Amino acid sequence: MTNDTARRISATSLWTIIILIFALVPIVTTSAYKINVASHILVWGLFAVSFNMLWGITGMLSFGQALYYGLGAYSVGLMVDYLGSGWFLPAIALGLVMVIIVSFLLGLLVIRVGGVYFTMLTLAFAQLAWQITFKWYDFTGGDDGIQGIIPPGILENRIVYYYFVLVIVFVSIWILKRMAYSPFGLILRCVQQNPARVRFLGRRVRRNQLRVYMVSSFFAALAGSLMAGVDSSIHTDMLFWTTSGEAILMSVLGGLNQFFGPFIGAAIFILIEDNIGARTEYWPLIIGSIMLVMVILFPKGIVGEVLRLKAWFGKNGGGRQP
Amino acid sequence: MKKSTCICLVVALLACVAIPFAVHAQDKTIRIGAMYPMTGRAGLYGIDSVAAAEMAIDEINGKGGVNGYMIDATFTDSKARPAYAVRVATRYITEDKVHFLFGVVSSGVGLAVTEISRQHKTIFIGTDHASTQLTVDKMQPYYFRVSNNTFMSMAAGALYLKERKATKDWTTIAYIGPDYAYGHDQWNELKYNLDRLGVPYKVVGEYWPKLFEPDYTAYVTSLVRDKPDILVSGFWGGDTVAFLKQAIPYGLLQRSLYFHPDAGGNYELMSAMGDELPAGLVLGARHYNNWPDTALNRNFAAEFKKRTGRFPTYAASGAYVGVYAIAKAVEAVGNPDDTEALVKALENLKLQAPWDPDGFTSYMRPDTHQLKKMQAIGVTMPNKDFPPATMMLGDWKIYKPEDVMPPNDYIKEKRK
Amino acid sequence: MDATFIFSQAVSGLTIATLLFLVASGLTLIFGVGKVFNFAHGSFYMIGAYFGYQFSAVWGTNFFLSLILTGICVGLVGMLMEFLFLRRIYGRANEGGFQILMTYCFILIIDDLVKLIWGTEYKSLARPPGFQGAFQIGDTFIPTYNLLIIGIGFAAVILAWYILARTRPGRVARAASVDREIVGVLGVNVPLTMTLVFGLATAMGGMAGTLAAPLRTVTPGAGIEVIIDSLIVVVIGGMGNFWGAWLGAILIGEVTAFGVAFAPKWATLFSFMILVIVLIFKPEGLFTRRKVM
Repeated sequence: MTNDTARRISATSLWTIIILIFALVPIVTTSAYKINVASHILVWGLFAVSFNMLWGITGMLSFGQALYYGLGAYSVGLMVDYLGSGWFLPAIALGLVMVIIVSFLLGLLVIRVGGVYFTMLTLAFAQLAWQITFKWYDFTGGDDGIQGIIPPGILENRIVYYYFVLVIVFVSIWILKRMAYSPFGLILRCVQQNPARVRFLGRRVRRNQLRVYMVSSFFAALAGSLMAGVDSSIHTDMLFWTTSGEAILMSVLGGLNQFFGPFIGAAIFILIEDNIGARTEYWPLIIGSIMLVMVILFPKGIVGEVLRLKAWFGKNGGGRQP
Repeated sequence: MKKSTCICLVVALLACVAIPFAVHAQDKTIRIGAMYPMTGRAGLYGIDSVAAAEMAIDEINGKGGVNGYMIDATFTDSKARPAYAVRVATRYITEDKVHFLFGVVSSGVGLAVTEISRQHKTIFIGTDHASTQLTVDKMQPYYFRVSNNTFMSMAAGALYLKERKATKDWTTIAYIGPDYAYGHDQWNELKYNLDRLGVPYKVVGEYWPKLFEPDYTAYVTSLVRDKPDILVSGFWGGDTVAFLKQAIPYGLLQRSLYFHPDAGGNYELMSAMGDELPAGLVLGARHYNNWPDTALNRNFAAEFKKRTGRFPTYAASGAYVGVYAIAKAVEAVGNPDDTEALVKALENLKLQAPWDPDGFTSYMRPDTHQLKKMQAIGVTMPNKDFPPATMMLGDWKIYKPEDVMPPNDYIKEKRK
Repeated sequence: MDATFIFSQAVSGLTIATLLFLVASGLTLIFGVGKVFNFAHGSFYMIGAYFGYQFSAVWGTNFFLSLILTGICVGLVGMLMEFLFLRRIYGRANEGGFQILMTYCFILIIDDLVKLIWGTEYKSLARPPGFQGAFQIGDTFIPTYNLLIIGIGFAAVILAWYILARTRPGRVARAASVDREIVGVLGVNVPLTMTLVFGLATAMGGMAGTLAAPLRTVTPGAGIEVIIDSLIVVVIGGMGNFWGAWLGAILIGEVTAFGVAFAPKWATLFSFMILVIVLIFKPEGLFTRRKVM
């Protein structure tokens, strides 16, 4: 029991520190770039964590969460573009309502199939949505995307908007974490390990899968709609399969069995991408090689390996005590 | 224990963010932050642009710089992804404190970067992307473009078709172009200009393969059925090569006149296809290695070949001229720091570019921030001066900038 | 609509289908036997195009000899990749995601290596001598090279059927796709089988690249363009179903061909729509009996 409490305290303090660090960014630096990078990390962190609710926890590898990420972004982008920037916040809300409906309907279709078919079906829907956004030039701006998405009022200030993102992201992650460690989260883990037994226990597998699919999609869309204000522009790339692929990458990089893993993975991925990208045009070779080594040698991801190392040191240190 | 390791991790992460990028200690420098795609399909244009920009910088710095200022450019792969390019542009502005943003091949990226340029009041010199929007409806005070927009190419194309009507009558026309903004803009602008010139035409087919579509067979056979007199093409990148290779054995190019005014005359098409390129195609490009036949242009192609081992694609000249435009503006103002004065200087820019024929100088149009230049359209014919190409363009038709720039009512209508 | 046009459009569809199938067959083979989803299959197609260019256009080797040499070289590269990397993640929890990631890394690395070796300029390969012209039927032309591709596609189907159905390695491969463990217990070297299958599949992808090179642009990034379409074909046909991939390719090829002819504005959407419809109503693939629900 004490052990459990201690763990809870240390996890809480870890979160306090992370939040504190992100909260300090605009105070330490006035650089718009650093604030922009920090915002990208926050948004991608939320997206990756929400994705990992599906994959790491429930074992449903979706290759199409970009659909919801893009849907969130485009509902904000389109409404601001057509109706004015006053609609920024209502657009986020409306977008989320739409995503709840869409993810419910699509969810009914996609959870019927398992394994690789689920992956393919989610990919297919996301690519279809991308194609439509791309082709429907008159309405969505097609490949040109939408520019000039400025949040209204006080949010127009970059720093205020940054804190707005920060609060929403961490509240969302806190909610997701509560869910992941609730009885609901426990059932999800059981669904991953042995769906048949979940049925024996009288729980409905499909219903729980649908629920987590909707939860994951909801927060992916929230991340997307926040991104619209970060860059002031959105683009069809947000719906493309590479966006879904990056969420997978971030989860593996950070550690897909750790709740924080994807968040740390998102941070590391974005920093690597920026630092290597700034120095060489051969970034795909370098990032590809790093990821290849990670996948082969450190399947637990960075957070997972750090925890394992720590456990190993802890054991050895304890053994040597006189 | 867990806490401390995790803290270390997070601190290390943030340390990475905090590490400054290239620190510019030199005082008298003109800093340029350039973004070009260097990977994937568009990589060819990015890499050529970088080589040409570096060539211009070496030339200028070799002569002692501009008013004592040396030019220093940083090049980053934009990955042709707008969200990433936005991050790079912001970094250039706030970390590297660049005086000019520079480059960009894709119009989608260009539109995202021009937004950043506007917000941060940093001048953005566009060198390759062609969407007319950037200088018309989405134009902002800090954006300038030295290369063509699609409107200019299409207006020249419409004039060419009008003249052709006088010599060899045609009535039907079909279009094939990539299914994204660039492809649609070209077709709309061509139709607009044909209407404006009062040229009657009948559209018998419109085809929209996706960008980088590998297989055009079905499009070719449909076009053979449509039998247009003029086949207008809006392909970009390697797509022209694939389309022509698949179209040749069907005899499509004998039945219809292949007419490709914006990116068809690109040198990389000729160097890739060699002998396979048929004669008699009517093509246009934003810059030609063999037109105009001026010392400046010959020198440009030869020097580029010396640096890279190959002749430049059209993208190279844009980057080359872009650097000279910056040098000119800084020379007029005296320093690279007074942004508003630089905007004024760029609005009045006059510049002798490799694409200018004798007796003409490119100039900036102040109300659109678009560089005005002569447009030329040529016909493929044998010419082995620029190997590995064995066919080049010739039989040029030249159009004056006044005739091909967007008319005022067009701009007014779009800006509404 | 006149008959010759329908005919020529159908042949166009068949050309599209054959090239699609030649890429997709390798993809589906790897999936069927090894349960590996090789996202980098398009990259093997791309290096196949570059090898073909190198052998045929640079070194002047006969086109058909280049085709075979390319198959061997790309197959060896594929086996090496499988042996060094993919083999290490078999049987891991959440293997699917790791496969996608690892093969995605292959895409990044191969693309950059190609850029380092051959540069970014577009390369081009001429049609082989004797296959440059076209047959004329009335007002319509059918290029001989397209017919050659269709012929090679049929030959590949028949050869693959023979190997899979009538030879011992084929039977082993089919058995391994049903139950790897039991096949191993029966004394078959399963890891070696996997490596060989991977080599065979990538060799087919590479040869498809060489065959397509005279019709397309050889450029970095060419792999990405074919992978999504091939994936659609594989899923429609049933993942791991060789015949399904063939029939799926013909379906997609013909739908695309007639879509372009009669509804050009929406032609690029049709294949995705078919995919979605198939996945909703028959997720195991149109041509597979097994149920996955």
